[in-house]
Amino acid sequence: MSALPSYGSRPWTFYVLAALFTLFVIFLYGPMIAILILSFQGPSAALVFPLRDPSLMWFDELFNPRRVGDVMGAFSRSLPLALMVMVLTVLISVTAGFGFRRRFAGSGVIFYTAIASLIVPGLVLSIGILVTFRFLGLSAAWYSSALGAHLTWALPFGLLIMFAILGRLDPSYEEAAYDLGASKWQTVKAVVIPIVFPGMIAVALFGFTLSYDEFPRSWLTVGTKNTLPLEIWTMTTNVTSPALYALGTVTTVVSFIVIALALSSIIIIQRRRSR
Amino acid sequence: MSSAQANTATPAGQQKTGEIRLVDITKKFGHSYAVQNINLTIPHRSYCCLLGPSGCGKTTILRMIAGHEPPTSGQIYIGDKIVAGKSPVERGTAMMFQSYALFPHLSIADNVGFYLKMRGVGKAERRDRVEEMLKRVQLDQFRNRMPSQLSGGQQQRVALARSLITNPEVLLLDEPLSALDEFLRLRMRGELRSLQTELGITFVHVTHTQPEAIALADMVVVMDTGRIDQADTAEMIFNRPKTPYVARFMGGQNVLTGLVEGHAGGLVRLRASGGSIFEFPLDGPPPANGQPISIAVRRDHVRLARQASDLAGKGINEIAGAVTATEYQGSYVKVTLDIGNGLFVANVTDRDYSAEPVVHGDRAVASWKAADVHTLAEIDTGAAADFDFDASN
Repeated sequence: MSALPSYGSRPWTFYVLAALFTLFVIFLYGPMIAILILSFQGPSAALVFPLRDPSLMWFDELFNPRRVGDVMGAFSRSLPLALMVMVLTVLISVTAGFGFRRRFAGSGVIFYTAIASLIVPGLVLSIGILVTFRFLGLSAAWYSSALGAHLTWALPFGLLIMFAILGRLDPSYEEAAYDLGASKWQTVKAVVIPIVFPGMIAVALFGFTLSYDEFPRSWLTVGTKNTLPLEIWTMTTNVTSPALYALGTVTTVVSFIVIALALSSIIIIQRRRSR
Repeated sequence: MSSAQANTATPAGQQKTGEIRLVDITKKFGHSYAVQNINLTIPHRSYCCLLGPSGCGKTTILRMIAGHEPPTSGQIYIGDKIVAGKSPVERGTAMMFQSYALFPHLSIADNVGFYLKMRGVGKAERRDRVEEMLKRVQLDQFRNRMPSQLSGGQQQRVALARSLITNPEVLLLDEPLSALDEFLRLRMRGELRSLQTELGITFVHVTHTQPEAIALADMVVVMDTGRIDQADTAEMIFNRPKTPYVARFMGGQNVLTGLVEGHAGGLVRLRASGGSIFEFPLDGPPPANGQPISIAVRRDHVRLARQASDLAGKGINEIAGAVTATEYQGSYVKVTLDIGNGLFVANVTDRDYSAEPVVHGDRAVASWKAADVHTLAEIDTGAAADFDFDASN
């Protein structure tokens, strides 16, 4: 590394911003860490500090549906739902991104129509979907109405990311592939997809986490069986044991695992490129 | 060549040649013409440079030959076959992109072997042919590197190798040297020329740099907006430009215009609007009196002297003006005169200059021999921008 240029002593604004950032970090991670610690609470079942006789009993309790509710069931719905939203968001965003590389009549209108659902309040949308389903004589379920509701939230993000990535993709890569005798499909498979792959992972990550954490768009659309965020919300109203904290810890860990998987695959790809 | 190379080239019995013929080619983008009614024949095994300022349509022509852009009307022949609707591989062309367009996710060897892989050539044969091609461009030690780890010059060699592995009859190069620094540019220029000679195929090279075109090409095609002004050898383009545009764009020429006053003793006499009188040898039928004619005089065929008195500089093939700039160029000094209705440039050898130096503000007289005057086929309208490039150095 070359030596950094010296700008003299730090201005007072540096300390203000540093303090602000410290507060932000404490505010963000403090509660999370507190919950993480308290989820190891002992049999005293106290919901507050101090931590007495650390144990794993509340994790055990969590997977015992008689006491806390159907956590495993909620998880078994939330995970496939998030995976479905992830796959659909990637598929639709990538194909739409290709379609939008060329301007066509009405492309602007279609784009803004798709993006507009970002500003529609989630609960309102959720009510609308429920009413429509009732009107059509369909019953709401996590794999149909909730899937649609989640896509209204995840797709615009996926589209925006994919448009930005494909917009930056130099068309001469595809021309070079064509010049070298590749068919359209070979070009997509051997050139375009590998180049935009990190972007596709980002879209997948967005799709997964937006669905996995979604509350307002799930509330009225999941039907009779809860997804995980709804289950947690229900528990806060009727479970008064550290099992709640144990649940928080488990769901956070799952989220972190997904993010870590996504980021490490991006890093591995980039390593391979600049080996 | 190995037998392996033969079976991925053209089917047996078909003789490919790299002659390119453009017949009445027009390309419109929306309502504007990129090129209009282009007719051009590029001979087999020649090094052709398409030269012009940006936006003149030279890259569009290249892309139409390559098959990346269909012409709006007209026909393109490569080796006597109409190539409309054919892919680049079927045309026998390969293109080297300005940005090189090396696939960032593939190693150097995989980039070079891309064409073979797309054709389903087996792994072992692919490796051998890639290795052979990498050795040819002296990059075999970099086979496992990624494109981003190579310097600009090395990346260009990879792009070259990747194009040449298709065994093209025509190599199309889009501003291949523009991304390189001056030193590499000169070196790669030489390498491109010797590669073309060695391979015996047609090279079509797009550039906006005059010295590059003159140094490389058997055939220089000078383009204005959407038109070809002149397609000729470098020597003809530089010494005998057809139009004021070519004379100005190539640099090294002064363009003057006057009305014919008469002819005598094999010399035609012109009178310029400023009163100067120019004479040049009659070539062909004598022009009518009063007809406007534009002439060109090479900058290095001009002699320069200090204006001794107000009367000096009124003779035949003489012009007087105030020195507005002197630029030392090593072997010569470029002296710019303001001659009232424009600029006139004389490239004076350093020896002549030091014998009679002139500086900014001095009055000087430029003179030349009638035999050094070249007549242009078109009248100078003065509309063309005054390109100030020195193709002579």
